[in-house]
Amino acid sequence: MPFTRRNLFATLASAAVTSQIAKAADDPVAIPGKRPMILHNDRPEDLETPVRYFDSWITPIEVFFVRQHLPRPAAIDNDAYRLTVNGMVSKPQELTLADLRKLPQVTVPATLECTGNGRAFYTPKVPGIQWGRGAIGNAEWRGPRVSDVLKLVGVDAAAAFIETNGADSPVASTPDFVRSLPMAKAMHPSTILALSMNGQTPAIHGFPVRLIVPGWDGTSSVKWVVRISAQAQASSGFFMNPGYRYPKYSLPPGTPARPAELEVIEGMPVKSSITAPEDQSKAPIGPVEIRGFAWAGENAIERVEVSTDGGGRWRDAQLSPQKLPFAWRMFSFEWHPSDPGYYTVMSRATDTAGRVQPIVSPWNPSGYLWNAIDRVGVTVEKSV
Amino acid sequence: MKTLLPILLGALAMVLLAVGQTMPDNATLEKLAKGQKEEGLSCTPCHSLRLVHSQRLSKATWTKELDKMVGWGCKIQDRDNLMEYLMTYFGDDKPAIPPVLSKDGMPRKGQ
Repeated sequence: MPFTRRNLFATLASAAVTSQIAKAADDPVAIPGKRPMILHNDRPEDLETPVRYFDSWITPIEVFFVRQHLPRPAAIDNDAYRLTVNGMVSKPQELTLADLRKLPQVTVPATLECTGNGRAFYTPKVPGIQWGRGAIGNAEWRGPRVSDVLKLVGVDAAAAFIETNGADSPVASTPDFVRSLPMAKAMHPSTILALSMNGQTPAIHGFPVRLIVPGWDGTSSVKWVVRISAQAQASSGFFMNPGYRYPKYSLPPGTPARPAELEVIEGMPVKSSITAPEDQSKAPIGPVEIRGFAWAGENAIERVEVSTDGGGRWRDAQLSPQKLPFAWRMFSFEWHPSDPGYYTVMSRATDTAGRVQPIVSPWNPSGYLWNAIDRVGVTVEKSV
Repeated sequence: MKTLLPILLGALAMVLLAVGQTMPDNATLEKLAKGQKEEGLSCTPCHSLRLVHSQRLSKATWTKELDKMVGWGCKIQDRDNLMEYLMTYFGDDKPAIPPVLSKDGMPRKGQ
């Protein structure tokens, strides 16, 4: 291309336009009701909690992560709300919110974690939202047991699954977000239709009514539930197959899934994350508090160990008192680095079933269930 | 034009830094602009572009993603230029972007 003044201006103009469009598309927006969150997507909302907010056992709603597959449904009028319960039941019903409130209400503290939390740490890269440590939160969920709702409608003993649909609907020809849950887990006394979260009913988190399947991947906990159907078979829709499946046998990194060998994800693995100090941060020489959280799906956390020398020596961290299935425990460790320099700080959790966090989280084509021993780099500086 | 020139040069420098290569020729820039236009037409009806811009994928993986979206009703008219654009800016050899924070969405005190 001959280099002329006109060419130069054309090139510059084109580049400027490209840059402006890219910038406009990426300008940050405010999400009503949320503090500044790591913005993976604003339409629909996919918001990650910055680790600095993880300093309490209950995660406040204003910083709780959000993962939407489809655009949020229009605001649901509590008086007009109906839950259709049908399928293999003797008395199909349309339940109101008042009907659900009449059933015994239980409170379940449970950690909710996106199946793809930590996806950004996998190599090679896999498609999907590039979550770091913060697609997770711990809340107190309250509402009736799914088992009580199923009793109300006379569920057939031969029904093996409940299929749950939310009020969110597909765009273009995307599949609807429909999930199936095996009956044994649906009947578990801690599986509830939550009518509140930390005492509130935020629409962005699926209220007035959402499913809470404690200890299982977040995608099981369907939001804005409007239909529950008792069925003999699991749904065959995209979000059950191939979505949210994990290889039965580990694959070499970067290789495609074998569809026949993918299994539905159920309980979550044992895991810990360091929330302070932050990765690649600096700390003055002196006491440094290492903090984080650990959880283990359907089990409780037994132990968290911390290493400040890249995994050579491990020491027990202090744990918060809540030794519960489904809910995380916070950990802390007071570290006294004696020398300045760069340190690799690591955390390793063990659960009540004896599961220990691995050094390597198995690569999988969708980047699910990241649970490798966590590590952050910290530069300790001489006091000035 | 004299006042615009520094701005345009700055914009070009940013693009070149992002691309991490020498100045692309006009034909390449035109393809990228077309690819970007196609991105707007194809992707934004269903989701914001942040979802695209935050990923760093191989050509094979972007191809699979586009196939998945076509299966879900996305009508891509100019697939070649879209792929060129995706690989230029969001290929797996490009550096990851630092996290973008949303603005504070909590009501201000007194409101």
